[in-house]
Amino acid sequence: MSRAAAIAAPKGSGREGSDWPKHLIILAVLCIELLPFYMMLQISVKDNHAFLTNPWVPLPPGEWQLQNLVSGLKLIGPYIANTVFVAVCATAGSLGLALLGAYFFARYDMPFNRLLWAIFLVLMLMPGVANIVPLFSLLKSVGLLNSLNALILLGIAGGQVFQVFLLRNFIEDIPKDLFEAAEIDGASHFQQLRNIVIPMSGPIIGTLAILAFLGAWNDFMMPLIVLRDKELFTLGVGLIYLDGEYVKKWGEIMAAYLVASIPLILIFLFTMKLFIRGLSAGAIKG
Amino acid sequence: MARIRVSPRKALHEWKLYLFIVPSLAMIVVFSYYPALSAMFHSFFDWTGGDNKQFIGAANFRRLLSDGVLWQSFVTIGILVVANIFKMVPSIALAVLVHRVKSDKWQYWYRVFLVIPMIVPGLVTLFIWKFFFDPTSGLLNAVLDVTGFKSVLIAFDRDLLGWGVFQEGVPIPWLGDPRLIIPSLILWGFPWIGAVGVLIYLAGLQSIGTEVYEAADIDGANALQKFWYVEFPLIMTQVRINLILLVIGTLQGFGLQLLLLGNSGGPGGAGMVPGLWMFNKAFLVGEFGYACAIGILLFVFILGLTFINNKYVRVDK
Repeated sequence: MSRAAAIAAPKGSGREGSDWPKHLIILAVLCIELLPFYMMLQISVKDNHAFLTNPWVPLPPGEWQLQNLVSGLKLIGPYIANTVFVAVCATAGSLGLALLGAYFFARYDMPFNRLLWAIFLVLMLMPGVANIVPLFSLLKSVGLLNSLNALILLGIAGGQVFQVFLLRNFIEDIPKDLFEAAEIDGASHFQQLRNIVIPMSGPIIGTLAILAFLGAWNDFMMPLIVLRDKELFTLGVGLIYLDGEYVKKWGEIMAAYLVASIPLILIFLFTMKLFIRGLSAGAIKG
Repeated sequence: MARIRVSPRKALHEWKLYLFIVPSLAMIVVFSYYPALSAMFHSFFDWTGGDNKQFIGAANFRRLLSDGVLWQSFVTIGILVVANIFKMVPSIALAVLVHRVKSDKWQYWYRVFLVIPMIVPGLVTLFIWKFFFDPTSGLLNAVLDVTGFKSVLIAFDRDLLGWGVFQEGVPIPWLGDPRLIIPSLILWGFPWIGAVGVLIYLAGLQSIGTEVYEAADIDGANALQKFWYVEFPLIMTQVRINLILLVIGTLQGFGLQLLLLGNSGGPGGAGMVPGLWMFNKAFLVGEFGYACAIGILLFVFILGLTFINNKYVRVDK
């Protein structure tokens, strides 16, 4: 924010007071943008009668139907548990492998380095649209259909190219002296990765972890194709299923949506700065 | 690039380092390269997804040529791509507006508000919009009624379109009428603010130095000129990257259509897009070979666009 301060301050000099039209437009746009969020929040505590007679204005706190949230939690609680399991495993797994891969590319210019790097880079340009059909038959032939492990593996694989790409740049910026000093002390590559790279790349690992987690959380296409049993449904398939089942009780559905958002709300409350900073940093580098 | 180029002897000594790349490499080979090659291979087969397959040469591709649904779906996706390009404008405009706000405190809070919609899972936003489109209890019709905008639509329909879909006293069937499917898909997500996009543009705008603005002020540039000559060139790179990602994403995406309209692409199949047609062929009819051929057609199409973009579209920084 400090750079913004340096820029914003002088540019306004001499034209004070002309800012309110901008604020008005921005606020109007943001209001419409936040409308779905607002509707979700206020409908989630209404029963059907209250919703039909008055869909717009929130109820006074005394009339809130808090049991909506309870039934919402009952509806999708198991799906959330499955999703948390998949998202955490996929995020940890993909970052772990990506760190190893990025260390390989960043540390030395080994023989075949360029060829291997090309194998990664090509995937950045290659559209994945045709992959979905063969992926299904691949998972079927190795008996991974209808299992959460399949989703974890796909999550790990899906993040590799992007994560290795960003982490490599980051590791290359770490001063070489640190690695050399560690090597003299007899540290193995694995120890160097653990004691030098990981402590020094906290922000980028955090940003990548949030992005990977969000990706796993929002995914519905692969779960839709892979999962069959209701006990294994992740949030994506669960919400689709809910959309087909409960057509009338909007309050409960919105409550279920709200419950589905709570884990993300918690994560964002704690990492918002990291997230905004990470996005901006990535943009400048790219 | 201060990487140390290693001699073969040193490389031999450090052979263990190769173990670091093996897991990552194995993952992308198995889950990215193998499926792509498998799709190419199986597009020449009559294949139902199992072990049984029969080589039929280019028959799948000949069939693509005469597949009316597929070509119609390309027209639909073309319209959506063009619409989505226009839908980038609000994000750019909002970023510039926020950037021009003088108060840092407000700038910060606007960023926070921008991020809030992102904490709702994408699928939930999608279903809330589906609920907005609901003819009877949905809010879109309610808004149109209250603001009186519906009478404008009715007049527009009566005098220009002649569709008869907008009528007094009849709820508008947004997702229930073939002629309204594409308008609904375009309207979806209004006011079309992409939080990530806005944050990225803002980051780009922040690199504009004060002296540039001062120079523009001395030259007597107005707000619009400042945008065209100062701000837009600086975020051109980000706009271009976003544009490419958006076009590619729209071309291969079909989640929105699948969830809003169902497997068949809505009434009359008006929302059918190539990806959804491929999905249908594979997972509903079991024609995996033909689905692979559709996938490969899209694959080649997108790859071609990427190639043209990298080769001919250059933006000077």
